[in-house]
Amino acid sequence: MTQENVIQVKNLTKYYGKFKALDNVELEIPPGRIIGLLGKNGAGKSTLMRCILGFLKHKGEIEILGKKITKHQESIHKNIAFIPDVNSLDDRLTVKQTMDYVSAINSSWNNEKAMELLASSDLNPNQKVANLSKGMKTKLYLLITLSLDVKILLLDEPTLGLDIVFRKEFFNTILGEFYDETKTIIISTHQVEEVEQILQDIIFIDEGKIILQQNIEELKNEYSIFTVPSDQKEKLEQHNPKVINKTLGHVSAVLNSKIEIQSAQINRPSLSDLFMEKVGGSNA
Amino acid sequence: MHKFKALIRKDLQISKKTLMIPIWITAGFYLLILLISAFAYFSGKLSMDLGNIQGSPPSETINYIVNMAIMGLPGLISLIFIIILTQGALNENIRNNSELFHRSQPVSIWYQSASRYIVGIAGNWLVLFAIAIFNFLLVAIILAIVDKFMFTTALAGMAQSIVSFMKTGLIIGSLTFFCSAVFKDKAFLQGLAIIVGVQFLFIILNALMQWHLPLPLSYLIKLINTATPSSISPEIFNENVSYYIMEIWKKILINWNTLLQVAVSGVLFVGATLIYKSREIK
Repeated sequence: MTQENVIQVKNLTKYYGKFKALDNVELEIPPGRIIGLLGKNGAGKSTLMRCILGFLKHKGEIEILGKKITKHQESIHKNIAFIPDVNSLDDRLTVKQTMDYVSAINSSWNNEKAMELLASSDLNPNQKVANLSKGMKTKLYLLITLSLDVKILLLDEPTLGLDIVFRKEFFNTILGEFYDETKTIIISTHQVEEVEQILQDIIFIDEGKIILQQNIEELKNEYSIFTVPSDQKEKLEQHNPKVINKTLGHVSAVLNSKIEIQSAQINRPSLSDLFMEKVGGSNA
Repeated sequence: MHKFKALIRKDLQISKKTLMIPIWITAGFYLLILLISAFAYFSGKLSMDLGNIQGSPPSETINYIVNMAIMGLPGLISLIFIIILTQGALNENIRNNSELFHRSQPVSIWYQSASRYIVGIAGNWLVLFAIAIFNFLLVAIILAIVDKFMFTTALAGMAQSIVSFMKTGLIIGSLTFFCSAVFKDKAFLQGLAIIVGVQFLFIILNALMQWHLPLPLSYLIKLINTATPSSISPEIFNENVSYYIMEIWKKILINWNTLLQVAVSGVLFVGATLIYKSREIK
């Protein structure tokens, strides 16, 4: 087992009744990386994160910072901050009560930073969380997370339902205020385009299986988008791409960069292009 | 301990409104009595002189019984609110969609569970104490005016009433807390339905098969049942109040039944926490 991996998953299998949500998942997450976890709805992204956090019973081994995890353990959360949907904050508490509570039970709480972030935000400490807008709840969740000095940050669809301004602000703040080369961030999101610029590695998951785990730059160099006129479609088809996209008078497909197709226009693929090629489907 | 204090504080903040309701109900009750008394006073119909009532009991008896009886309504209200708070204790965060937030904090499940258990039961005890202090002062003033206030006897009456309700609250609260770990909705009613169902099943089986299966509801009632003044002859009371009070203490507190009640409550708490701990968080 490699010591420097912050998360190591071996043969992880999880059933919901008879449904196999995770199928022999193997993962090695090194420190200091920003990793995107990408998959269709129901592919197993949230289940994987919840298993890592010890929230779900499972088969297989999970190690976090060298410690084996079998069930929910207090020690897991000393080193991991987890942001699910921002609506999971407790609506019955005020902003101040939420901060006081988290600060009292987290030894890694940095009060100076929290006060600094609170002062620079427009959050009213005496306001009930229930009365905050979704955007303001996001700010509060960010404030709490950024005030914790943890090694790993897991984000499970954190910006679901937020407008584009807050989504951008969320990821920019995470990158600017939280990330340094000793910390690891795993982001599960549907809005791939928005996080594409900040991700370093990518994990594709489909039907509970890890399809791919790779450095994004390497992956983008490995594949290219080949575009040819519609009447030359067979030039793409002979390389068996998973998906052929139709545009006005043209067809395109993601293929290995080493392939040579005469008269084809070649472009650099986006993450969603690569996902479509590797996983297929339409709701990535 | 620092973490536990933070949890208790947080759970009190969350349950503050519910915990305050018995105080508002009692205050409303007194306001109503005050209005009726004021109306009676101004219409010349108010008359309170216990000394003039023919064959009235001695002052000691009045002090004891009045202080015990005045806690009846707050005691019952307290039991209802213990059920309300404990039946949601391990489910309220799920309903509130904040289970992930709370379970993601680096704090032991046992601490989290204990904090909710304590706030649900002892929180209501504290409220009952607060009402008792107010009632005691009120009764002291009224008795001093209309008859004679006897501090020790009055205090014993009130304390015994409170202890009875606290013990009943402990058992009912622990049982409801356990039900909240098993059932995610309407825990108390579902738990009660099962106990009553098993009771009837056992009664039928005992009758048909000549078995002697223990009846759960009967056992529960026996466990909860604590002595009241009516369980000891009133003659003894009039003869020797101190002896009577001590006898009641022995019946409601200083006995093996108390130990059994605490032990059963402890088992129910541990069982509830183990079930809660094994729950998956989806």
